[in-house]
Amino acid sequence: MPAKWISKSDLKKLLAQWQKKHLVYAPMHNGHELAFQVVKDVEDMVLDGFLNTRYPAKSLFLPQSEALMKFDGILHSVETDEKEKIIFGLRACDAHALRLLDHALVDEQNPDEYWEKKRAAAVVITLGCNSPDETCFCTAVGGSPFNTAGSDAMLVEMGEEYLVYSISKKAEALFQDLPQADGSKTQNARKFMKGVETRMPGLFPKQELHDALMASFETDFWKAVSQSCLGCGVCTFLCPSCFCFDIVDETVRRERVRNWDSCMFRKYSLEASGHNPRPTKIERTRQRVMHKFAYWVDLIDEMGCTGCGRCVRYCPVNIDIRAIATEALHREFEGMKK
Amino acid sequence: MKNCYEPIPMHIERVVIETSDASLKSFELTFNRKEDCEEFFSQYRPGQFCQLSIFGKGEAPIGIASAAWEGDFVRFTVQKMGKFTSAIHEMHAGDAIGMRGPLGNGFPLEEWEGMKLLIIGGGCAFSTLYAMTKHILHPAHRSDYADITALYGTRNSGLCLYKPVIEEWHNRNDIVVHQAVDVAEKDWKYHVGYVPAVLEELAPEPDNTVAVLCGPPVMTKFTIPVLTKLGFPPELIYTSLEKRMKCGVGHCGRCNIGHKYVCKDGPVFTLQELQRLPNEI
Amino acid sequence: MTNTRDQKIQAEARRLLQDGVVDVVIGFTRGTLPYRMQPCFIQEADETTCLEMNGLCSNNLAIYLNHRPRGERIAMVVRGCESRAIQALVLENRHARDALYLIGVPCTGILDLQKVQPREQDAILSIQEEGDQVRVILSSGEKLLNRSDVLHSACVHCNHPVPINADEIIDEPGLFEERSFDKSYLDAFRGLTLDERYERFREEAERCVRCYACREACPMCTCEECFVDHSRPQWTDSTICPAGQQAWHIIRAFHQTGRCVSCGACERACPMNIKMTYLTDLLNRDVFEEYGFEPGLDPALMPPFLTLGQDKEKFTAQQEGQHAS
Repeated sequence: MPAKWISKSDLKKLLAQWQKKHLVYAPMHNGHELAFQVVKDVEDMVLDGFLNTRYPAKSLFLPQSEALMKFDGILHSVETDEKEKIIFGLRACDAHALRLLDHALVDEQNPDEYWEKKRAAAVVITLGCNSPDETCFCTAVGGSPFNTAGSDAMLVEMGEEYLVYSISKKAEALFQDLPQADGSKTQNARKFMKGVETRMPGLFPKQELHDALMASFETDFWKAVSQSCLGCGVCTFLCPSCFCFDIVDETVRRERVRNWDSCMFRKYSLEASGHNPRPTKIERTRQRVMHKFAYWVDLIDEMGCTGCGRCVRYCPVNIDIRAIATEALHREFEGMKK
Repeated sequence: MKNCYEPIPMHIERVVIETSDASLKSFELTFNRKEDCEEFFSQYRPGQFCQLSIFGKGEAPIGIASAAWEGDFVRFTVQKMGKFTSAIHEMHAGDAIGMRGPLGNGFPLEEWEGMKLLIIGGGCAFSTLYAMTKHILHPAHRSDYADITALYGTRNSGLCLYKPVIEEWHNRNDIVVHQAVDVAEKDWKYHVGYVPAVLEELAPEPDNTVAVLCGPPVMTKFTIPVLTKLGFPPELIYTSLEKRMKCGVGHCGRCNIGHKYVCKDGPVFTLQELQRLPNEI
Repeated sequence: MTNTRDQKIQAEARRLLQDGVVDVVIGFTRGTLPYRMQPCFIQEADETTCLEMNGLCSNNLAIYLNHRPRGERIAMVVRGCESRAIQALVLENRHARDALYLIGVPCTGILDLQKVQPREQDAILSIQEEGDQVRVILSSGEKLLNRSDVLHSACVHCNHPVPINADEIIDEPGLFEERSFDKSYLDAFRGLTLDERYERFREEAERCVRCYACREACPMCTCEECFVDHSRPQWTDSTICPAGQQAWHIIRAFHQTGRCVSCGACERACPMNIKMTYLTDLLNRDVFEEYGFEPGLDPALMPPFLTLGQDKEKFTAQQEGQHAS
C-alpha cells in the first residue's frame, strides 16, 4: 500500500471532520498528565513533545473496571453499544500490545464480547516515535518505533507534514482523499525511520532469553532480582500488555465487575485452603518477568513485552526489566543448553 | 451479548451432608432452561469442573461429581472454606444458584480404552474421580476398560464421601476398592495408613495401567514418587490440579503454570506435562 | 568521583560487614537511569563501594525491615524520616532495636523530579547536585536551579532532617538546624469550607488506580493483610469508583494518624501524581495540637492512639513528666 501524506494543519482539519461522525480520542492534557480523552477541540490535542500517556491505552478496550453483569435476581449481561471510535496518536508499542491482548482475550469457544465489540468499533491510528526516550526499548523485543502491528494506520511526522501508511480497509476510507506521497518523500521517511531505529537498543535473543529464564526458575537469581520490589501494582497496571483481571461482586451497585489485577499482589494466587503457590515476592517477581519473556514465547513464539518503558520509568524503586533480562542472558544457569 | 462470564441459572434440587462433621455437602443442581441442560451434557466429560456462582459471594471452581447417566442434574461436593463455600453451605433445596461450565479438559477416557485403571483419591478431592468411576462402571462403558482398582483414603471414616455408593462398589466384581484411614478406628474393616504408604503396600502392577490421582497437594507430592518407584511412566500418571480461579476460561491470567492455564489446559495433566512446566503447584 | 560523605558511608558499611556486626547493609546505589537511585542490599564487604546518598534517593528504606528474613541483623543508611519511621516501628514492636545498626546521614532533602522536568518528552540527561544548586541537563538544554525550588514538598516542610537515635551520624550535624513543628502551610486547607475541602479530596482521589504503591512505599504500613484485601467482610469497593478510591485514601490516612513520619515516599511512589500527604499532615497536626505528640521522635513514648485507657490529660502530663526527667 503506497504511502500518502498530509500537512500538519490539514491533519487537524481532517480530524475535525472525523469528529462529526466518530468519537475521536487523542492524547490530551487532563490537568495532571497526558491521557487519551475524547477530543472536543482539535487544538487541545498534544502531538508535539509527546512521549506517551502514563496510563496505558489498553484502558480504552479493557477498562480498569468494567461491569460484566447486572444483578436483579439473576445476573444479566450488560449490553453495550460501542460507538465507532478513532484512537489517534497511539504509539507502536501500545498498538502492538493490543494484538497481544487479542491473543489473550479473543476466544471463539468462550467469547468475550466486551473486548471484541470495543476492538471492532475502534480504528487505531498510531504516531511513529521520532524521538524515543532512553527508557524505550521496543526494538529489544522485536518491535520498532514505526512498527505497524496492531495499527489500522501509522503516521510518521516529517517536518511540517505526516506520511500516512494505511494498513486496513477501515483506515483506507478515513484517508481516501489524501494525495499519494512521491518517491522522495517516502525515501526520506524510510531513511529517517531507519536512523531512529538504529539508535535504539538491540534485539534480545528471544529463544536464548526464554531458555535462560526457564533454567533460572529454581535458582537464587530471583531472590536478588526481587529484593527491592515493593509488591505494588504500578508495573502491571501501567503495562499495555498486562491483562490479568479479577472478578468481584459489588453488592451496593448490584454488579459483577471485572477489575485489573496484578500478579505482584499476594492475594492474586492465594487459594481458599491457605496454600499460595507464590507465597513471597520472589515467586511473584519471577512470574511477571517469565510471563513476559518466557511463557508468551511458549504460547505464540513472541515476547509479551512491547518495550514501552513505563515499568522502567514509574517503578518506585527503579527495578528495570531490561536489566533483569540482560542479566539472565549473561548468567550460566545449570541445565542450560549452550 | 456473548458473554462467557454469565452464569447459567440453576436450582438446588437436593442437598446431602456427606461427612460426619458436615464440612462437606453435595449439592445436586438442575437446569432452569432445557436448552442449557442439553448444551451442558453435549460437552460434559468427567474430570471437568464448573464455576458456581452466588451474587454477592462471588464464584468458586468445584469439580463435577456426577456422571451424565445419573440424570439431568449436576452434582457438586463442596467443602466449607471461604466466603463462597460458606454461603452455599447455608443453602437448601429450592434455592437459586448460578453455574458456568463444563470447564476444563476432563479425563481423556477414550485414550484409556483397553487399559487397566488405578484410581487413587484422597479426602474431598475424590469428587471428580467419583464421577469418572461412576461413568466407567456403567454397563455402556465398563467393557471399554480392563481391571479397575480404586484406593480412597481419608483422615477418618467420618470424612469419607459418598459412603452408600462406595459400600456398593465393595460388593461389585468389576472393581476392586481399597479404602484407608490415617489412624486405626473401631470397626474399620479396611487399610490404615496414609495413601502413599498403603499404595506402596498394595504394589499394583504398572503394565498397561493408567494411574489417576486426585488429592490434596501433600498427598500428591508423596504418592507420585511411589507410583514412579512402582514403574508407572510419567505419561500414564494423571492428576487434577487446583488453583485460585476467576474466569475459568483462560482469560484472566491468574491460574497459570508456565504457559498453561489450569482452568483451560487442565485441570487434568499428566506427570510428563507437569515435568515440562515450571514447578509452581 | 566519590564525595567524602559517601566514602564515610562506604567505610562504615565495610567495617560492619567485615567485623560481622551485621548480615546486610541496606542503602542506595546508582540506578539504571541518570535521575534514579535504587535501594541496594549488600552482604559482602568488598561490594560496599557502590553505596551513595543524594537527593535522588526517593524511597524510605525503612520499608525493607518488614521484607527481610527474621533474625537478620540489618544495618541501614538512614536519614531523618527513615530513622523516625524505625523509631516508631520499634515502639510498635515491629522490630527489635538491637538487631539494627543505623548509619545516620543528615538530609538535605529529596528532589522532586516533576519540578526539575516540566515535560516528560524533555528527557533528563543528567542531574548534578552542587551545594544549594542543582545542575540539570535536559534534552532541551542545561538549567541551573535553586535546590530549595526543586525539593519535594515533604522535604520543604521537614523539621527533623537529622537522624534520631542512630548508632552514629555521618557528616557534621551542626550544619542542620532542627526547625519547629511549623505546618502553617496547612492553614490554607483549614481555611476552606467543608465543600471546598471535599472537592480537593475528591479531585486528588479520583485519579487513583489502586496500585497500592503508596501503601507499599510507606514504612508505617505493615499490616499482614490490608483492609482493602479483606473479603469477609469486604470493607471497600475494589472497583475504580469514587466510593472505593475515597475510602482507600481516607482510611489509610486515618490509620496513619500519629504514626506517619511525613517522609513523602507515598507521593513520590504514586504513578498518577496524586498528592496525599496533606491528609496525613493534617491529621498529625491535630495530634500535635491535642497531645503534643510527634511520631518517631521519642523512643520511650507510645503514640496516643496506641495507648489504651489513657485520657488526653493523663497522656499530656505523662509526656511532660518524661520531658522534665
